[in-house]
Amino acid sequence: MADEGEGVSGDWVKVADLDECPPGSLLDLEAGEERIVLANVDGDLYALQNRCSHQDLPLSDGELDGDQLECLYHGARFDLCTGKAMGLPAITPVPTYAVELRGQDIYVKI
Amino acid sequence: MPENELVEGLGLDEYQYGFVDEETHVFRTRPGLDEDIVREISEHKDEPEWMLEFRLKALKIYESKPMPTWGGDLSHLEATLDEIYFYVKPQEQMERSWDDVPDTIKNTFERLGIPEAEQKLLSGVGAQYESEMVYHSLKEEWSSKGVIFDSIEDGLKNHPDLFREHFATIIPAADNKFAALNSAVWSGGSFLYIPKGVQLDTPLQAYFRVNQERMGQFERTLIILDEGAQAHYIEGCTAPVYSTDSFHSGVIEIVLKKDSRFRYTTIQNWSNNMYNLVTQRAVVNENATMEWLDGNLGSKLTMKYPSCYLVGEGAHGEIMSIAYASDGQHQDTGGKVVHVAPNTTSSITSKSISKGTGRSSYRGLCKVYEGAYNARSNVECDALLINSTSRTDTYPYIEIEGKRATIGHEATVSKIGDTQLFYLMSRGLTKEEAMSLIVRGFIEPIAKQLPLEYAVELNRLIELEMEGSVG
Amino acid sequence: MSNPAQAVEASSAEEEPSAEEDTPSSLDGGAVERLSEGAPSWLSERRQHAWSVFEDTPLPSTRSEEWRYTDVSRLLKFADLRVAPDGASGEEGTRPAGLTAAMDEDEAAAGHTVVVDGSVVHVDLDPALEQQGVILTSLRAAVHEHGDLLEEWLGTEILPPEDGKFQALNAALWSDGVLLYVPPNVKLDLPIRTTRWISHSGSAVFTRTLIVAEPGSQVSYVEELLSEDFDQRTLASSAVEIIARDGAQVQYVCIQRLGRGVFCQSAQRTLAHRDSKLDTLNVSLGASVTRLDLNARLLGPGAHSELLGLYFGDEDQHFDHCTSQDHIAPDTGSDLLYKGALDDRAQSAFRGMIRVHRGAQRTDAYQTNRNLLLSDDCRANSLPNLEIEADDVKCSHGATVGQLDSEALFYLLSRGLSRHQAERLVVLGFLGEVMARLPLGGVVKKVTRAIERKLKNG
Repeated sequence: MADEGEGVSGDWVKVADLDECPPGSLLDLEAGEERIVLANVDGDLYALQNRCSHQDLPLSDGELDGDQLECLYHGARFDLCTGKAMGLPAITPVPTYAVELRGQDIYVKI
Repeated sequence: MPENELVEGLGLDEYQYGFVDEETHVFRTRPGLDEDIVREISEHKDEPEWMLEFRLKALKIYESKPMPTWGGDLSHLEATLDEIYFYVKPQEQMERSWDDVPDTIKNTFERLGIPEAEQKLLSGVGAQYESEMVYHSLKEEWSSKGVIFDSIEDGLKNHPDLFREHFATIIPAADNKFAALNSAVWSGGSFLYIPKGVQLDTPLQAYFRVNQERMGQFERTLIILDEGAQAHYIEGCTAPVYSTDSFHSGVIEIVLKKDSRFRYTTIQNWSNNMYNLVTQRAVVNENATMEWLDGNLGSKLTMKYPSCYLVGEGAHGEIMSIAYASDGQHQDTGGKVVHVAPNTTSSITSKSISKGTGRSSYRGLCKVYEGAYNARSNVECDALLINSTSRTDTYPYIEIEGKRATIGHEATVSKIGDTQLFYLMSRGLTKEEAMSLIVRGFIEPIAKQLPLEYAVELNRLIELEMEGSVG
Repeated sequence: MSNPAQAVEASSAEEEPSAEEDTPSSLDGGAVERLSEGAPSWLSERRQHAWSVFEDTPLPSTRSEEWRYTDVSRLLKFADLRVAPDGASGEEGTRPAGLTAAMDEDEAAAGHTVVVDGSVVHVDLDPALEQQGVILTSLRAAVHEHGDLLEEWLGTEILPPEDGKFQALNAALWSDGVLLYVPPNVKLDLPIRTTRWISHSGSAVFTRTLIVAEPGSQVSYVEELLSEDFDQRTLASSAVEIIARDGAQVQYVCIQRLGRGVFCQSAQRTLAHRDSKLDTLNVSLGASVTRLDLNARLLGPGAHSELLGLYFGDEDQHFDHCTSQDHIAPDTGSDLLYKGALDDRAQSAFRGMIRVHRGAQRTDAYQTNRNLLLSDDCRANSLPNLEIEADDVKCSHGATVGQLDSEALFYLLSRGLSRHQAERLVVLGFLGEVMARLPLGGVVKKVTRAIERKLKNG
């Protein structure tokens, strides 16, 4: 489970059903004004801003590799947990969101 | 054809490297590319499992990425990819003694003046023929200090940890379609490691030669300079003239640790049927300096943008690029600098000449991330048009975050001035001589950085070209 | 010249004001049909065609080079927009305070138009000019009174719907606009001024401007776009087509001071014929998102165009300026200067192309983009491009991104100014260079005041 945003205030919003984001998949969705990519790695859920920090292109088109997300367009890599840039050409991190599973509903704090 | 003579002047009308050797490879994959061919290549090289997996994954990425629609016209290449040989093994093994290299190959390189050059006190030499390095040598003085200069395959075999630590971390397979292709079928290239504090005082040189018709050459080079190290690496490329297309898609990854200095010089003079698509990137750490010196004289289409990622404080990156495009040629070249750490500096100088129906395009990137306080970058691109049918383009990308950067970019386009010509001719020069002098003056700031024999070569080329241009 | 802000005239009435609707209409085929009611068939056909081009064109994505820095899918949702109610049917005698204030600042003019929510509500023109054959009228009126002129020029070759999704939408749904026609050798000493106001949050307003300057004529046209701040995304879409025939001189100035929440999209194309001079100045100060596509074509020898631009962004404003200088005939010149200052988290993208076509010998073309960044979080992207296919040319471009000139600041501080005052002066000096190139009556003063207001708020 992704770590909580540290004391960041925000609203928990239901963004998807669990079966919309099965293990090994990425899901592109909107929550309020935010564009989010949900990732499911063997049952663990992560949420990041759906925008590669290298170029304004969707991370949801990419691939999961262990605990990292690789952007389709130029191979930039990010840590799913922290959003940190892990491989060129990514330099700056991608914002992450706290995720919670309540029953079969996926909630994200925005 | 002069033998054992330093490389003479070249004229595109009479491309002097255009000779063809009889094909005598020991192994060649069938034309085209698929998973089996990738496996064959890996098997021939006796690679560890992880490398095979890496290649296969890269193949999938290559197949899924679309052909770029920017840059040059790749439609003809796309249409003939199924006829290209992606791997040609020219001899059984790489040699360390020049005498042991098979005669046909040896003769080729002697015609290109290679052993001569080695005698001229180079630190080391690598020679690649088709898909493999055929010859590699390193002066004992350097190997005793721990310098490693090997074929890339031997780098993987003999220094697996160092290799794996850096390989594909600078240019991931997914970086672009041709990096993915190279990642799948790479063969030949150099592995260079310079230990802490070791500073080579003469250059290392590598030659790349393609002989096979419809050949794809996929050089992969990995260079690591440890703290305080220094070196200069020169790469020269030629190929015979065919009416069918060939292609060279190289990937060069460089890591410069703290306080190191490195210059990578390429003089590319591929024949006019060659597509030259190269990805080059250096990661520059604290107070280190990277210099790319890029001479693009040949090929049908070159797309090549040497890059510097300035990730350590005080890092400096420089790209000097000369491009020459004549009839039927398109040079789409330039450079990229990315400022990540504070107090980094960079400069890009590009000089291009377009003659006849040639087209020369500058394409570059200057990107400054927010943390890169006091980033300073200057880009200057100048284009010279010789004929009214010549074409030039400039496509710079400047992307700056935050107020603490000072960035300048300038580009000019001009032709040879009538007044200048008239003045020189009134001093007794013929029109061709005058034009040649002006063009040489135009590229002089960069040409003077080239190793002597290449500078001589370049000047001869210009002379010959100007002869053909008047009227 | 009477102050038209007080006047109450409605636009020339050939059409009836549309019936009050309970629910404003969304942007759909029905809206296209309603706009086509009572219009000549050539116009309805063009609207229909433009609508189908709009539907067939995909939404611009960041995957395309032209929209790399502006993610339309995130910034604008067509489905949420509503066609603006007809401004002409508004209550007589009332004008929004912001509109009157802006017009009060204006200096003398040869004529005025006032456009509210996409409808021309007022037109006046110096009678002497009218006698000489100058036409200043709303497009709605022009459709019937000057149909031939419109049929030939409006949204045809100059700005066809095929240019892009926004251009197609505007060509389908434009509600009104301005036609300015100047006959041969007529010279206007004072500018024509247009003030455009948007009232409704969440609305989409589409207007067009067509300026035709016949050989030897001279005219300046200044328009200002205004609104309050909106909490819903509002679209202000403009299409501007300007033709300067042989020897004509035309100046076009647009001062955009729209409120927050507005997505301001403007497509402009200028055609400069032989020996003509056609200059534009685009000042972008307002709106949350500004997208300008300006294409200047040099079509006849001796033609010259200056493309001037000024932008100043703060908070989270986003500017995307896309210009091109197309040199098609030989012996033409163009000179572009776009300067911008950015503060807070503002972002700017500038993409400028100089294209010298084959045969366009002895072209002199220049392009400069300078960006002044005032904060750590702002961002400037600059892509000055050149495509040159003729050799006897002089072309250059330059782009800079930098911070406040510390020497200039130091000098001012040493003269006793506060830091804030000194910074203001440096920014004004920086941006002022652009306006000094096109000192149109009152524009410099008005824009300087607007910039100062922005700096004060910072």
